[in-house]
Amino acid sequence: MLHKSVRVLHNIEDALLVLILLSMVTLAFSQIVMRNFLGTGSIWLDPLLRVLVLWVGLLGALVATRQNKQITVDVLTRFLSPRLKTISDIITRTFASIISAIIAWHSFLFLIDEWNSGVMAFASVPAWLPESIIPFGFSIIALRYAIQVIALIGNGFNPSYGENGDSEQ
Amino acid sequence: MIIALILLLLTLLGAPLFSIIGGSALWGFHSEGIDLQVVTIEVYRLAEMPILLAIPLFTFAGYLLGESQAPARMVRMAHALLGWMPGGLAIVALTACALFTAFTGASGVTIVALGALLYPALQQAGYPERFNLGLITTSGSLGLLFAPSLPLILYGVIAQQSSLDTPVNIDDLFLAGILPGLLMVVLLSGWSMWKQPKGQISTKFNSQEILSSIKESIWEIPLPIIVLGGIYGGYIAVSEAAAVTAVYVLIVEVFIKREVKIRQLPEVIRESMVLVGAIILILGVSLASTNYMIDAEIPTKLFHSIRSFIDSKWTFLIALNAFLLVLGMMLDIFSALIIIIPIILPIAAGYGIHPVHLGIVFLANMQLGYFTPPVGMNLFIASYRFNKPVMELYIATLPFFFILLFAVLLITYLPSLSLVFLSL
Repeated sequence: MLHKSVRVLHNIEDALLVLILLSMVTLAFSQIVMRNFLGTGSIWLDPLLRVLVLWVGLLGALVATRQNKQITVDVLTRFLSPRLKTISDIITRTFASIISAIIAWHSFLFLIDEWNSGVMAFASVPAWLPESIIPFGFSIIALRYAIQVIALIGNGFNPSYGENGDSEQ
Repeated sequence: MIIALILLLLTLLGAPLFSIIGGSALWGFHSEGIDLQVVTIEVYRLAEMPILLAIPLFTFAGYLLGESQAPARMVRMAHALLGWMPGGLAIVALTACALFTAFTGASGVTIVALGALLYPALQQAGYPERFNLGLITTSGSLGLLFAPSLPLILYGVIAQQSSLDTPVNIDDLFLAGILPGLLMVVLLSGWSMWKQPKGQISTKFNSQEILSSIKESIWEIPLPIIVLGGIYGGYIAVSEAAAVTAVYVLIVEVFIKREVKIRQLPEVIRESMVLVGAIILILGVSLASTNYMIDAEIPTKLFHSIRSFIDSKWTFLIALNAFLLVLGMMLDIFSALIIIIPIILPIAAGYGIHPVHLGIVFLANMQLGYFTPPVGMNLFIASYRFNKPVMELYIATLPFFFILLFAVLLITYLPSLSLVFLSL
């Protein structure tokens, strides 16, 4: 049951990535066509495109966390024994989870302020809407790292866990 | 101080870089008594930089090209055009890799996509195995200095954040990369001609093959012309060029050539956006840490303390080269750019180094770092791809390393190489 809902979440993330990227390509291209050949162009298209960059970036980061593809410095870990590697994974992922949670929490507070103030981002889009990806994204990242840590401990420090990107938790 | 040591230790243990940078920003703001909500505002600045649009669009186009047969067609055409020259095949490899890397952004894709085509071809032409391995591993990061490579764009983005007296224009960076990039290609080509196996007859000049290979690549040939012509000619902005590239590649490879099936698209999009996401996340949190650093005047303080024992621009450049060489071994190019540039840029400006020149020096050094033992990323990618022990690759790349080191030194100490095309 739980497994199934996780898979659904993954599919939603993937679908959103595809949808957003393809809209970015289409919108950016039509903006060029409108500007250069029709002499018009939409005022809200540019801010919308910039927001989509933030969204595609943070959604990509969610998927990167789940596939274990976040950028790290690979100097020491290459030479650690599997057991030490697992221990260092537990420490570093706990840290990443805590930092993401702190950012998520403060972004959430910020979002509530924005909601109450009724500020507009562009056109008639309220500012909190494009900003909402920040608390959402960091919460999921925090959660994912937490689940990975629990799984690492639960597997009895089994080093094979999390080695390949497909274990997707 | 203790916090800094803990963060350093966590970095070495392999903590995700965004958490290290984010953590240091949080700690910095917290100790200044600033509300941590400010981090959200900083991350949201990602949605206020028009140029960033170029990053997902170029990366997507690059991954799509890598998935199609375009690399194979490109190699065939380059082979037909250049293969008859002495050292021709090696020059083919260098040119094809440089062009491909410029468009795909030096993320290791080059070795995977082109290595499989070039390695057997070089083998067949009689080049020693060690030379082939070295050449292909080295070529994997060649082309970094040519437009529209992602690291060049990213450098421009970051430099624009650090409010310098001399503004950094991305178009200027594209111009500045031309001669230094060509220098590297020419030096490596020269070495390849020298190493040309004796008594081997190279491919004959064959106009039939040239024509048919051009015909085969007819859809891809306009791409560099549109993009580079558009940018260098000043007709389109960088992010517009990215949009045109993405649309063009999508239409050609998916609908005209049909080499990438529509059902493969989600996979290609996801994989390319994972890289984009990892970069954007680090960039986002680093906007916060950079802002804190500038507020706390950390670069200025660093400059004054460095100034006390390095007084000339040239000594500083030597120290910089050494530092970047070590850095390039440990950090991949994207995180190195995001973390180090905000600190180094103001310091270098203090020594009177032009920010565009600094960018070229930085990237040229990083290019070397891709295959500097023991941890250069491309060494591991090549080792995995060609199923060779990493040790063998260390040895194979050594002569290439010294050739490019020479190029890097020339680039560093002859600023005009980078700045000659700029209207200063």
